[in-house]
Amino acid sequence: MDGMRAMEQELTAGETRISARGVQVWYGQNHALRDVDVDILDRSVTAFIGPSGCGKSTFLRCLNRMNDTVASARIGGKILLDGEDIYDPRVDPVQLRAKVGMVFQKPNPFPKSIYDNVAYGPRIHGMTRNKAELDQIVETALRKAALWNEVKDRLDASGTGLSGGQQQRLCIARAVATGPEVLLMDEPCSALDPIATAQVEELIDELRASFSVVIVTHSMQQAARVSQKTAFFHLGNLVEYGETAQIFTNPKDPRTEAYITGRIG
Amino acid sequence: MNSAHILSAFDRDLESMQALVMRMGGLVETALLDAAEALDTRDEELARRVRAGDAAIDALEEQIHSGCARLLALRAPAATDLRTVLTVMKIAAALERSGDYAKNLAKRTAVLAQMAQIPGASGAIRRLAKAVVQMLTDALDAYIRRDLALAEDVRKRDRDIDQMYNSIFREFLTHMMEDPRNIGACMHLHFIAKNIERVGDHATAVAEQVIYLVTGELPDEERPKVDSTGTVA
Repeated sequence: MDGMRAMEQELTAGETRISARGVQVWYGQNHALRDVDVDILDRSVTAFIGPSGCGKSTFLRCLNRMNDTVASARIGGKILLDGEDIYDPRVDPVQLRAKVGMVFQKPNPFPKSIYDNVAYGPRIHGMTRNKAELDQIVETALRKAALWNEVKDRLDASGTGLSGGQQQRLCIARAVATGPEVLLMDEPCSALDPIATAQVEELIDELRASFSVVIVTHSMQQAARVSQKTAFFHLGNLVEYGETAQIFTNPKDPRTEAYITGRIG
Repeated sequence: MNSAHILSAFDRDLESMQALVMRMGGLVETALLDAAEALDTRDEELARRVRAGDAAIDALEEQIHSGCARLLALRAPAATDLRTVLTVMKIAAALERSGDYAKNLAKRTAVLAQMAQIPGASGAIRRLAKAVVQMLTDALDAYIRRDLALAEDVRKRDRDIDQMYNSIFREFLTHMMEDPRNIGACMHLHFIAKNIERVGDHATAVAEQVIYLVTGELPDEERPKVDSTGTVA
């Protein structure tokens, strides 16, 4: 595996950004996630893979308390962001989600202008004092999302008028605008064509210079292409977590092997 | 992982690649044994057939190469599947080289048939060839059965091959010192022995591919080498 490490996918990550220990999730009687321990590293892309219903999206949604909105959900264990418990009663979930942004499967821009889509978060968090500062944040976010050149002349046009791939990058810009530390992406490319997918993947690779990115994907090839670390979930358990190159060439657990080689597990 | 792929055509593709490698292995084993027999019995017709047969081995290697390229492109294999494809390609390359050595042996046989015989030489070479072919057979068996113990055994046996080669080398030196008229034949015979010894290295490489296929790691500790001819004055 030395050769693999020498390749571009080498981990350039820094320290642990999110540390999850013994995380459990119940939806009513259904024990959806069992005892998950994961460290999400700074400046790296971590992919969660696994069959439908394995708990990968459930775990992703724990990382910015999206499960708070599900009435029947109960969560156990500890999730620390930069050493602080995100489930501490003193933590404001809205502030948390500014730090841990999320991008969803289907592009879901607000029915507002491109500018207002990106400006929305900074406005509600009171991040700017004047229009010039807000303009700057919007431009920077659109540039980070590799969308600026395509939309700079029509910032007043509606976000919903963009192509699917552009809409998804707009949603990434919207998530980036609040200056997050972690970006969560739930199947960000499954509604996109291959070209738009490649653009978003390229963007993810660029984003890891400044953020920690966690992506849930059904495409194992996508996980292999964009991530440095891969976690395989199965039936609510975290089965294996390791360097992506190792997971795809020499997985340690037979369940991982069965899944990534397309065998009946 | 013995269970089948959900996509059964994937299984058929992988199996057909491995079947081609086994067929290639069979051809190489026969070529080596025939070449050694032709040398020992001065059978020029058999030597000619060995030379002609190398084209079939080369064609199989090309078929395996393009089949593997297709598998990589269309099926994007991972884990054991990926290692299967990688090892098939490596083993095919090792077999192709081994086939070339058999062909070279047969070529020299034609030349040696015109020269005075060196007593005991062709018999010793034939025994060396038999031992090497057995290594190759066992390495390929280990591959198809995913048998780590047998693969390790093959690796260890390379030491015996090196020892046999050493003693043949010393014998030829003696013959050449005794009578300079033996030098021509002994040089050819020495190249033959060296080439067969190289086939042993390829058989060892096949065994190492078995270890990589099964464990995901290439054996890293250096094999014990006893070829001391590099230091013979």
